[in-house]
Amino acid sequence: MESAGMKIVIDDRPVEVEEGTTILQAAKQAGLHIPHLCFHPAFVPEGSCRICLVEIEGLPKLELACATAVRDGMKISTQSPRVREARRGVLEFLMADHPLDCPICDKAGECKLQDYYQEYGLFEGAFKEAKEKRDKIIKIAEKLILDRERCILCTRCVRFLSEITKTQELGVFRRGIHSEISTYEDAPVQNNYSGNLVDLCPVGAITDTEFRFKTRTWFLEKSESICPLCSRGCNIYVDYHPGFARIPGTAKIYRIRARENLEVNGRWICDFGRYGFPSLEKDRGDKILWKKEGRDTIMSWEKILSLLAEKLRPRHRAKNTSNIAVVANTWMTNEELFLLKKIFMDDLGLKKIFFADPKPGPEDGFLLLTERSPNARGAKEMGLELDSVSLEGLSQNTDILIIFGSFLADLHDPSSLKNVLDKIRTKVLVSSHRSGLESYVDFILPASGILEKTGSLTNRDGLVQKFSAVCPPCGDSRPEWSVLIELAKELRINAGYYSRLIQPEVILKEMGKEIAFFR
Amino acid sequence: MACSKAWTRHVDEKILTEHFGLANLYEIEAYLERGGYRAVTKALQEMTPAGIMDEVKKAGLRGRGGAGFPAGMKWSFVPKTSDKPKYLCVNADEGEPGTFKDRYILTHNPHLLIEGIIIASFSVGIHAAYVYIRGEYEAVAQRLEQALAQAAQKGYLGKDILETGFDLDVFVHRGAGAYICGEETALLESLEGKRGYPRLKPPFPATVGLFQCPTVINNVETLANIPVIIQKGAPWFLDKGLAKDGGTRIFGVSGPVVRPGIYELPVGTSLREIIYTHAGGLKPGKKLKAVIPGGMSAPILKADEIDIKMDFDSLAGVGSMLGSAAVIVIDEATPILDVLKKVAKFYAHESCGQCTPCRIGTSWIHKIIKRMSAGHGEKGDVDELVRLASNIKGKTLCPMGEAASLPVLSLAQKFKNELESCLKDGSG
Repeated sequence: MESAGMKIVIDDRPVEVEEGTTILQAAKQAGLHIPHLCFHPAFVPEGSCRICLVEIEGLPKLELACATAVRDGMKISTQSPRVREARRGVLEFLMADHPLDCPICDKAGECKLQDYYQEYGLFEGAFKEAKEKRDKIIKIAEKLILDRERCILCTRCVRFLSEITKTQELGVFRRGIHSEISTYEDAPVQNNYSGNLVDLCPVGAITDTEFRFKTRTWFLEKSESICPLCSRGCNIYVDYHPGFARIPGTAKIYRIRARENLEVNGRWICDFGRYGFPSLEKDRGDKILWKKEGRDTIMSWEKILSLLAEKLRPRHRAKNTSNIAVVANTWMTNEELFLLKKIFMDDLGLKKIFFADPKPGPEDGFLLLTERSPNARGAKEMGLELDSVSLEGLSQNTDILIIFGSFLADLHDPSSLKNVLDKIRTKVLVSSHRSGLESYVDFILPASGILEKTGSLTNRDGLVQKFSAVCPPCGDSRPEWSVLIELAKELRINAGYYSRLIQPEVILKEMGKEIAFFR
Repeated sequence: MACSKAWTRHVDEKILTEHFGLANLYEIEAYLERGGYRAVTKALQEMTPAGIMDEVKKAGLRGRGGAGFPAGMKWSFVPKTSDKPKYLCVNADEGEPGTFKDRYILTHNPHLLIEGIIIASFSVGIHAAYVYIRGEYEAVAQRLEQALAQAAQKGYLGKDILETGFDLDVFVHRGAGAYICGEETALLESLEGKRGYPRLKPPFPATVGLFQCPTVINNVETLANIPVIIQKGAPWFLDKGLAKDGGTRIFGVSGPVVRPGIYELPVGTSLREIIYTHAGGLKPGKKLKAVIPGGMSAPILKADEIDIKMDFDSLAGVGSMLGSAAVIVIDEATPILDVLKKVAKFYAHESCGQCTPCRIGTSWIHKIIKRMSAGHGEKGDVDELVRLASNIKGKTLCPMGEAASLPVLSLAQKFKNELESCLKDGSG
């Protein structure tokens, strides 16, 4: 059926929308925001909060913007005195049953109830009666705390668990003013998507123990990024506290939230990704070290790269690079893998690049995938082979070994690693994290974590997603792409080519010229 | 059963309560002796489904549950071409305070309802009907079950009824005591085994109802009127009542009157006549103060407002409603604050809690009235009640917003002086 355009007028603004569009959606298209609490675009409208009521010309009652489909010729007012009065009334009711503990509420600053009160409320409190007392600390999941006093019963959490995860751990119990969200007989919310309830909750009723009472939302810089913990490439927000100038150590990533991308992850992310971020900040290596004859010497980037270049250059000149081995990983960005391939395979003439990636994990049937690194597809599209590295293959005739990343330590036990690595004369480790590999190598180059760099990742379905650095690099670390370019410069190979590649974006453009997939 | 005493008085010609005097009318043999199931026989053997629907439309039968929607029109909204099964739900969740008419029909004349169910189902093309009966009506439900079993035994229910090829099964489902489950969509949810939350409309039950299938929902009394319409015809029925509101109503009179009880009277009988002629007026020494004319959710009428016809349109004209035709009489000795407290307590207790204005508003109103009642009322409280009730009215998901706010509004507005006299004066 061909959808006819519906010509409507919202607040004197003419809009044309498709048939079946709701008033709320039509208003959005017209650039107007109609307040809503229970409505969420991912769920069937419930119409219970009643804050989105609007006036339709010719109808006696106010109607729900979230659930009413537009009809041709409809004239809608979202700001008439009746609408404003009704909205105010709903806000007043919600506030009467709300604890107003905003000073200690983690949602403060991004709470819909606060925002709407500012915009549509600003009334004096008329509620003189005793507030309902309810439980404020109810553990409903491993990491989730429910505060029933703050709850406005929008039931987004209930509907998420029934419509999206279909696990149905939460329901509404009791009746009237005593209505409450609860688990069934204390069986907790137990699925890999529980953290989304925190994002979904329009107020501070569901908070997670990772974020609870840790900081205030207005201190956080909210940056867009890509989750690196599996090959789905879920879009995320990374909320970063840049730190207080006079208090060292206060800069920190506080939380990860889902960012809508209907092509990739819808509006959700899994708990594995969401709560995996603290591990990204742990055990960081931040110093450039040369372990010369058993003593650690702190180096500068210039010095260490020229040292490495000196070791590589003679072999390049002699066209004898068969004793060089490189281990990469698919946590590296498209740009970094491209440079790696360019320098070591195309210019230095290595036959292959080895890969050491995180061990695969179980799929969860929704977003989380087996492949626990973000860019395997990118590597494959460049023609790199991702067979997991064997220690025997690595040690054969290897004289210089350059390892990117720390995953080798997860794949092999320390003693066999030591045995193999001891046989190799020069070992370089470029890694963002400490893993035990440090004790077996000679040069340690700290790499920036994935959230500290800019670049692009190719998800399992072949979508190339760009992302930017969320926070400054840790310590002396640098992103691998910059390390590789500097190395190429030191090696004095193809100087004209590499000196142009000053930014990941430029590198990606160059890739596009050379590899059709990245065009 | 305890209620087989003198619960009705014979006035004029009856439709529903005609043979109520018989002690065993609920037994199918007694019912058949009085001409029972002739309407079913006529409808199934002599009439077409469309013909029946037409007759009901012409009879001007309006829903007896409270909203007064024309029954025949409701049936006609069910899509004729749907390949889904269709259902009939009989609303026997008689929960509106003051209302007890359906209980009498179910107790004394259950076969009349069953006849109505069969004819309605035949007309709409329904093969399964559910009677959603109020949880508290345990004995009533048992009696209905017994009547259904007897009807099935006689071949009026089950497969191939009266050898016409028409099949119908009727199931009795007992509610669990929530007022809200009398709201038709909450009733459907409850019947499906879910929490009794009203649904958003549209879609309306006629297209998406029970188990997502087209569904007709009718009140007990509405269906009990069907057999007589079939037997005596629409003109006869219409003639009993008013031009657009045919038949009789069972008025349930409660309060300090001489003869409280149910009175089946023509639609449009005056409220004064009901109270003073049929119910015998107020008890000696009592003076009329006010009347709630249509169940507790109907706005109250003062003593000087009772010269009014009891039909949907007349009562709507004075800002009240006929609702379930439950007439609650209030005498001068009853403080309005007490009435208000009962009303507020009931709706705060029975709010399902789904939507904001009703969930929080009813509780807020109740809290203010409790405070007033405890002697801590303050200046402005009555106005505050009006303001809060206005913020509920028309803003809720289901009609309970009106049910909860209208009585509060009318009490607070019509008896403002009396209510304010219970407040502490300005020094408060």
